[in-house]
Amino acid sequence: MISTAARRLALSLMLIVGALLTQAHAQDDIRSSSELIAGQQEVIASLTRKVDGLEKKIDQDSDDDATLVDDRLQLEQLSRDLLHSGVAFRPRLAEINDRLSQLGQPPAEGQPAESDLVTNERKTLLAEKAEINVVLGVAENLSIRINKLVDKITETRRALFQSVLTKRYEINYALASEVVEAFRGEMGDLYRAVSSWMRFVVSFKLKSMLAVTFFALAAAAVIIIGGRRMFGRLFIPDPRVEEPSYLSRISVAFWLTLMQTTAVVVFLGITYYLFDHFEVLRGDIGDMMASLFYVIAIVFFVSRLATAVLSPRLPKWRLIPVESRAARWLVVLIVATTFFTGLDYFLSNVYRVLGSPLAVTVGEALVSTVIIGLLVILIGLVKPFVDDDGQPKSWPRMLRYILFLLGGVTIAAALLGYVGLARFVSQQIVVTGAILATMYIGFLSSQAMNEEAAFAKTTVGRRLQRKFSLDDTTLDQLGLVTSIFINLMVLVVGIPLILFQWGFRPGDMTTWLYKVAGGFQIGSFTFSPSGILSGILVFAVVYFFTRWFQGWLDGTVMARGKVDAGVRNSIRLTVGYAGIALAALMAISAAGLDLSNLALVAGALSLGIGFGLQNVVSNFVSGLILLAERPFKVGDWIVAGQVSGTVKKISVRATEIETFQRQSVILPNSDLINNPVGNWTHRNKLGRIEIPIGVAYGSDAKRVHEVLLEIARSHPLVLKNPEPFVLFVAFAESSMNFEIRVFLSDVNNSGIVQNDLRFAILETFEREHIDIPFPQRNIRVVGDRPTVTWPADDEQAEAEYAAQEEARAKASEEAAAKAKSRRRKPDPG
Amino acid sequence: MNRFLVATGALLLALSGAAHAASAVNLDSETRTLIVTEGGSKSELALSAGETVEFCPNGCFVTMPNGDREALTGTETVEISGGVARIK
Repeated sequence: MISTAARRLALSLMLIVGALLTQAHAQDDIRSSSELIAGQQEVIASLTRKVDGLEKKIDQDSDDDATLVDDRLQLEQLSRDLLHSGVAFRPRLAEINDRLSQLGQPPAEGQPAESDLVTNERKTLLAEKAEINVVLGVAENLSIRINKLVDKITETRRALFQSVLTKRYEINYALASEVVEAFRGEMGDLYRAVSSWMRFVVSFKLKSMLAVTFFALAAAAVIIIGGRRMFGRLFIPDPRVEEPSYLSRISVAFWLTLMQTTAVVVFLGITYYLFDHFEVLRGDIGDMMASLFYVIAIVFFVSRLATAVLSPRLPKWRLIPVESRAARWLVVLIVATTFFTGLDYFLSNVYRVLGSPLAVTVGEALVSTVIIGLLVILIGLVKPFVDDDGQPKSWPRMLRYILFLLGGVTIAAALLGYVGLARFVSQQIVVTGAILATMYIGFLSSQAMNEEAAFAKTTVGRRLQRKFSLDDTTLDQLGLVTSIFINLMVLVVGIPLILFQWGFRPGDMTTWLYKVAGGFQIGSFTFSPSGILSGILVFAVVYFFTRWFQGWLDGTVMARGKVDAGVRNSIRLTVGYAGIALAALMAISAAGLDLSNLALVAGALSLGIGFGLQNVVSNFVSGLILLAERPFKVGDWIVAGQVSGTVKKISVRATEIETFQRQSVILPNSDLINNPVGNWTHRNKLGRIEIPIGVAYGSDAKRVHEVLLEIARSHPLVLKNPEPFVLFVAFAESSMNFEIRVFLSDVNNSGIVQNDLRFAILETFEREHIDIPFPQRNIRVVGDRPTVTWPADDEQAEAEYAAQEEARAKASEEAAAKAKSRRRKPDPG
Repeated sequence: MNRFLVATGALLLALSGAAHAASAVNLDSETRTLIVTEGGSKSELALSAGETVEFCPNGCFVTMPNGDREALTGTETVEISGGVARIK
């Protein structure tokens, strides 16, 4: 009782609170809306101030690429913020619009006036909406301004890049001593900066520095040791292996490079991050250290890659078939090129940080780019191959010329004073070259994977085979798919990396990608790769889902529901076809193809299709009728025209029948619908077989009848009801013909039963001394060729000839009769 | 390798799923025009009756046929009916 009262009280309390809340909400509405507008106005004003600041900044650092990139990122962020601030109005706008549509249009002239309340509310709402629109207009203008600034930055950067490449410095010998002097001074500055930093670290931050180094080393060790434990076999070249396959060579090169480079990069990254975190780095040292780490990582990567590909110590594990001597030289030259490029990059950063005179930058860059150019030409001069006579042979002509050209351009540009260009080319040689080499290895590996049975020999392939017990063909196809996939991956990763190196921004690339994927127009038809891709994806997903559903329905639901096999098959097929149709429709709409266009085409072509595909359509419809009507099911023994056999598969166009000779006959469904089809096993498998038999005249016919009936009855497979029957068929010329007619519960057993019965008849007749007559033929074997004498007795010879003729005629007649009386029923054996 | 494959598959799926834009549907029986401010320029986007158009992949400001302004982030669907736009 008390509990009921309490519950009621609680309920009414809740109701009251709810009512109060909604009221308060309604009152808050207007206030919150004006707050919203004021708040967003403030946000937009602050964004405008930021944009103003950035605009000034852009003008100031129009000669510094790195800060321009930074400004651009900031502007993009501002643009996003602006959008979000605009989006904040959306719920309120939707509310206003809803309310306005509820209030309706203001009454036209001549119509009865509405109440003031309504007019006032509409006015307030419209005023609010106008205010929001104004704020949004401001935001819109700001967004235009931001985007114009972004364009301006892009333009400035392009001009900057161009001026760096085309700027010419005066180079003369008087410069040399000046450069040497200034360089010495700069190195002194660098030494002082570093040593003062070291003193600072040792006296204040020693502990954290030691801890950081320890952590970074530990992380790198985890990668190296863990990687070795997990994939050890994959990436340690084994010198004992006689002839490692190409694929294993590639995977060793790949994993070895990846693992070692990752360890180093992780070590450097963690060190830098933690140094930064513990404030061990001061501004100038931080910049220098970052560039130093970057250079170390690149040099390490290139040297590992070169060593892995050229493998100077283990010739068997070499990826490119060069001579061992040349391999050693190539590794040295490549690493030297990378080292000098890295050194140049690092020093240029140091000069920037220290604010060194221009002469130093120019002089140092001149020296290093000339060295790099010479190294590249030296690489081109190496003779890595051996020709048929055992003489050293140089690179392919094309590659050699490219190398000469690159080296020559670098040296020439540097000597002519275009130091910026020389530096750019030399950096691109190293970085783009490394990326291209990696891509090349990727392509090689996909090619190796493509070869027959190559995938089955890999560790992954073997493991897959063991796990899923795949056969060789599947594995081979998997290899093919993998190779295509590797190719794609190489392109997808490599091309953006190269573009990135050449000064394209990720933003540009995504915009291109979007443009390509979003589609382009051909006539009025929009072709969109992403749409087609998503269409294929949707089709695959829906198709697999229907297959799964089909399997589940068939295997679980219907099998347990003890559904008849024919019905099961029909339902399974119908579900399958419906699924394919559904998947196709969904895929088409997901691909963005307009179905109404398709309908137009179908309408125009339907006449042609009607004539051209008449048979196919008729078979198709017949197939549907077969599935619905089910005159026969899979496993039935049917006779259609000349064909007799077991139904193997009912598809929509044709039905597959396997004859007893194991020949597959594909019958078009329309034949099965339009012509009579005999089905031995339609409702049941009951069937009758007949065994004809003749006994000699003079036998006791009644006894024969009894014996035959006895035999028929005593067979276990013969049905008692309908009971076996022995028919006295005819008085033939030389025999009394009987016929045993028995019913079997499964007509498929007729072969066995016939055999059994015939053997039994033979045995019993022998026991009972009942003869089975057969036409007899006397053959006279003629020995030595008799001397042809004139027959002594003409009449006797004539009579003999007539008797012979008669016997022959009788025999052939009997044979014909026998053939006629043979069972007409098809033989299941 | 297996995990690598799975990861790349997921990446591809994400990429193909991420390539979307805002779309506008004109449910009216006459042509409607949206003014789209995107990437530093204003442009008019005419939608004929029943047409669906994808636009504005990276966010934009739109002026609707009835003069309403809206900011879009690039994932919305704009439905125009009776000259009034609704955002879903």
